[in-house]
Amino acid sequence: MSDGTRLLTAGIDPGASAVKVAVVASDGGDAAEVRATAVERIRRRGVREVATRAFEQACAAAGVEPAQLAYVASTGDGDAVAFRTGHFYSMTTHGRGALFLDPDARAVLDIGALHARGIRVDERGRVLGHRMTSQCASGTGQFLENIARYLGVPLDDVGALSLAATSPEKVSGICAVLAETDVINMVSRGITTPDILKGIHQSIAGRLVLLLRSIGAQGVVVLTGGLARDPGMVAALRELAEAERARRADTALDIRAHPDSMLAGAIGAALLGAYRHRQLERAGRVERVA
Amino acid sequence: MTATPTPPLSPPPAAMADPAAGPLAEARRLVEDRSLDTVRAWKAAHPGALAIGHLPIYVPRPLLEAMDCLPVALFGGGDQVDIIRGDSYFQSYICHLPRSTVELALAGDLDALDGVLFPAICDVVRNLGGMWKLLFPDRYSSYLDLPQNLDPALGGRFYADELRRITRELVARGATPLAERALAAAIARENARRDALFALDALRRRQPWRVPASEAYLVARAGAALPAADHRALLQAYLNAALQRAVHRYDNVRVVVTGAFCEQPPLELIRTLELAGCDIVDDDFQLGWRYLEGPIPTGAGADGIEVLARAYLDLGTATASRYIGEEEKGAALVRRVRRAGAEGVIFAAASFCDPALLDQPMLEAALGAAGIPFTSLKFSENTGQLQVIREQAGAFSDAVKLWGSAA
Repeated sequence: MSDGTRLLTAGIDPGASAVKVAVVASDGGDAAEVRATAVERIRRRGVREVATRAFEQACAAAGVEPAQLAYVASTGDGDAVAFRTGHFYSMTTHGRGALFLDPDARAVLDIGALHARGIRVDERGRVLGHRMTSQCASGTGQFLENIARYLGVPLDDVGALSLAATSPEKVSGICAVLAETDVINMVSRGITTPDILKGIHQSIAGRLVLLLRSIGAQGVVVLTGGLARDPGMVAALRELAEAERARRADTALDIRAHPDSMLAGAIGAALLGAYRHRQLERAGRVERVA
Repeated sequence: MTATPTPPLSPPPAAMADPAAGPLAEARRLVEDRSLDTVRAWKAAHPGALAIGHLPIYVPRPLLEAMDCLPVALFGGGDQVDIIRGDSYFQSYICHLPRSTVELALAGDLDALDGVLFPAICDVVRNLGGMWKLLFPDRYSSYLDLPQNLDPALGGRFYADELRRITRELVARGATPLAERALAAAIARENARRDALFALDALRRRQPWRVPASEAYLVARAGAALPAADHRALLQAYLNAALQRAVHRYDNVRVVVTGAFCEQPPLELIRTLELAGCDIVDDDFQLGWRYLEGPIPTGAGADGIEVLARAYLDLGTATASRYIGEEEKGAALVRRVRRAGAEGVIFAAASFCDPALLDQPMLEAALGAAGIPFTSLKFSENTGQLQVIREQAGAFSDAVKLWGSAA
């Protein structure tokens, strides 16, 4: 249904550790407003149940009935959203969502729990190129979560501690398993927790900047996914991009995060759902998904 | 405003009580019967009758049934078999199917078979046939040379002679001598099975949300070791149940998948394509079931073997192992896409499958000229890491859905 001339749509993004939902009012194009969002950690529950609950929460917060939504778009683990209208792949939705959060975005760095993905987009959010980290988890949130657990640090404190580092300790730049061994050695050598965490952040940042370079990213890079909320991670990426600027001024990276970065996939899915609905409407095929 | 969809909030009704659950469970049981227990049971119920295995793509199964043999389609070991010994018989740069077939045989999983036919697909299957003779010299095996000359006076005569040779060889091994009435009846049963399969395909094209390709694949594959009449009954049961389903319709992209006619992708790969937002509305998986594009003609007094030969010549589908004009294959693929109302094509070929991969550039050119988006991927029957395929299929599905192009 519509809110005046605007469509109400929802995007649901079940990830490895949390389900993110956004309810958006838009015209099917660039003019859009996020009405409500919800983030629900999965915490060993069934992801379908969590997705339904988060969706209901977001609808309630937006003051809309699910039946009023013109399109419910899933992204990420779409199988967890049986009531979806359609599904969009996460790189498409993160690209669109990042562009909504920062219209200057020309690349996206999506750092989730299990994978990191670099995505190059055009000014419409259309994906021009992408690459994902391989099976190795060393550039992802799960890796950082493991390290935090070894160090006995709450995940939410990791960023602030990393920012307080004075002499970051270098860790293995290749392998998460080796890096974990490095961390154990550092602890036994008395390296401070902030310096260890900063070293980890720098190690991940190095890998992620290489990922961005491999897809030809330049200009504004918007961070999305769970690690975009980690100020230590953001700082490490910015410092590395700044350090590169002197020798690669023409292709410099401008790393940006947004308070809603974690919701980029859900927002992008909702926006693409509205776009798709308009497309079906123009083709007289709305009943196709009724 | 145009009427808009109203998504139900909780899981769709189809997930609650699926009337197709029974036929699907039976199909899964049959597909997972790696050691051919159903074949053993059939042989116990038919003392003295032969079970004859055959490799993809096409073997005239009614001929075997008419001689009271049970045709058993062999599709390799899939993703359930660790290849250990099979690898030592073949070079590394060929497809996976022959290795897993040898592995199954050496493990005794194919012992219920009294013989195996190796139809002409490619050099690799020809080599497998030769290897088989060396490994199992006491068991019946034969290479079935399918004609590439489609002139009835040449290829037709040659093929009919091939079928008569196999008939004689099977009779020598204990099969019932061929009788015209029995062959006509077997052809009629095969046509009935084919009708059920085509009805299933038609429903899948009309309402893919009612018949996911992954399920259609399973019920088709379940017929590998079933007589045609039993397979038809299973197909019909599934079809009836699918029609009764309460369904939830998704806004997916309609695609044709082509190239997996011989070595089969793991079921999870098909599921991955579906989860990426694709409705697979046509495919060439297990092509043998649909190799003939129409019913085998029957008529009073006709010579059954000549009928089978003529059906192969006249009704054979355009596929990589059939040497027909490149333009003809491209045009046939475009026709399939149009008939299915598909928006794009996914080329899914087994790694090192020369027939599929050599044809692909020509098929791509035909799709390009027709403005049909496509993408391509490769698999092997035991592909377990599907992330890259998921990524690629997801990107393709979104690009077609949102931008009407492949990128």
